[in-house]
Amino acid sequence: MYLAEVSSWEIVKKQYRYKLRSYFGVFSSLVVIQILATFFSLNGTGMSGGSSGTFSYNVNYYSGDLILAFVMIWGFITAIIITTKAYRYDDYSFVTNRKISHFSNILFLMSASLFAGITVFLSSHLCRLLAVYVKHVDGIMMNQLTITQILKGVSATVLYIFLFVSIGYFVGMLIQVNRLFSFLIPVGFIGFLIMDGLHNDPTLLQTIALFFGSEALLTLLFVKIITVSALFYVLAILISNRMEVRS
Amino acid sequence: MKTVECIELTKQYGKTKAINNLSFTLSENKITGLIGRNGAGKTTLLKMIAGYLRHSSGEIQVFGVNPFNSLKVSANTIFIDNGMSFSNMLTLLELLESAKRFYPNWNHDLALKLFDYFSFSPNLSHVNLSKGMKSTFNMIIGLAARCPLTIFDEPTSGMDAGTRKDFYRALLKDYIAEPRTIILSSHLIDEVEDILEEVLLIKNGEKLLHTPVEELKEFAIGIRGKTEALKEWMEKIEPIYIQEIGANISYAVIKNDRSLIELENAKAIGLEVVPVPTEDICTYLTSKTKGGIDHVFS
Repeated sequence: MYLAEVSSWEIVKKQYRYKLRSYFGVFSSLVVIQILATFFSLNGTGMSGGSSGTFSYNVNYYSGDLILAFVMIWGFITAIIITTKAYRYDDYSFVTNRKISHFSNILFLMSASLFAGITVFLSSHLCRLLAVYVKHVDGIMMNQLTITQILKGVSATVLYIFLFVSIGYFVGMLIQVNRLFSFLIPVGFIGFLIMDGLHNDPTLLQTIALFFGSEALLTLLFVKIITVSALFYVLAILISNRMEVRS
Repeated sequence: MKTVECIELTKQYGKTKAINNLSFTLSENKITGLIGRNGAGKTTLLKMIAGYLRHSSGEIQVFGVNPFNSLKVSANTIFIDNGMSFSNMLTLLELLESAKRFYPNWNHDLALKLFDYFSFSPNLSHVNLSKGMKSTFNMIIGLAARCPLTIFDEPTSGMDAGTRKDFYRALLKDYIAEPRTIILSSHLIDEVEDILEEVLLIKNGEKLLHTPVEELKEFAIGIRGKTEALKEWMEKIEPIYIQEIGANISYAVIKNDRSLIELENAKAIGLEVVPVPTEDICTYLTSKTKGGIDHVFS
């Protein structure tokens, strides 16, 4: 019997195709999360009002920010989930090696982020529509966006989600190498926040948020996020080399 | 050509050695049985061959390369055990179709026929199957993949008697149609001895025997008779197994390397020479102490 010669890229594509179908549960949880977030958003993210004599007014602000926040957490958790044994071992029922497993996971997570980003944009509109119908408002004002602005907005959303996904993948891999990290990481994170806030001027989260959040140029944001994500993936791949492939 | 070659292979978990200094080679297109008791290291060895586990020391080569994390080995090897996990998002039929895309030699016709024969319903998912059905489904994938190295790790666990027989028959038929290297691990040798060509017997991670099945069948003989006579005759012979089976009557199993005269002598003092079933030979060779379980109660 002859030995089959296979190219890594061919197998990456096959694994990716397989994952799109076999990890379908990830997308159904995304839908649930978004519905939940949409309802939470119906309260509005801000409110102001005033009155003068017999005249009074209320202004409610509605935005998709909350939905994005929810989806970022979804991305983080999803990435952790696909690093668990149950998901990793699925790959080994068919042809693969560790590198291929990682690359097809990254491709899958990219697609999931893209899909999530687009749906965040759509559901933030759904949220505004619902507000009109449910909340008996007299008037609604919206930002008019051009196609390029929409595309920029969606791309930035996708990038932010992808950033959280990469962090999740790294954290998940750490936990797979040693269970202790599932305890150390939250403790370390919250500990740092507390230490940071001891002197009444917290800077840690602010610096991170400023680094990614206030970038006006999409290309620069792209470079920043892809570089940081790549770093997380490289670290995840390196630490996974300490493990057995499948036990 | 050698498909699998191990030289002084060792796998350590902490201080315990699951596999200890194991050396053997498996040549191409043979069915080898890996026989050993629970915890002998069968699964560890197979997982190292399949490239799932890293070896601690020594050398292991499959198709001429180190199998750990190797794409070449993964593409040409299939490892079937009951730990195989499949996504529950795909139906059984879709899983077969996915497998078809991955394995270049995949025989879809055979897969579908077997699928039909064992009356799987195509819309079920893998998690809904019972243990025996899971084993049967995994076996279908293992056979249809037609990988140059096919490894079955206790493939029949959970299967009923009928399915077991069908499985071994299917394995043999498909092997004849498309010869390949097959490793079959089992602790029940009587079930598989008819289809095996070679047997690799391991105990505590070490190799006891690696012989063709015919030689294993004639590896040992049993001697039965009065305990004293037996003891006297056996003075200089190291028994593989010895047991008291009745009042003043003992049964001993020894290596089949006695001369004819010695056996004649044995018969002369009232001892009986009997053949030993292959299964018993394996049990005695791999048992922890020479007296077997009786030692615990005496």
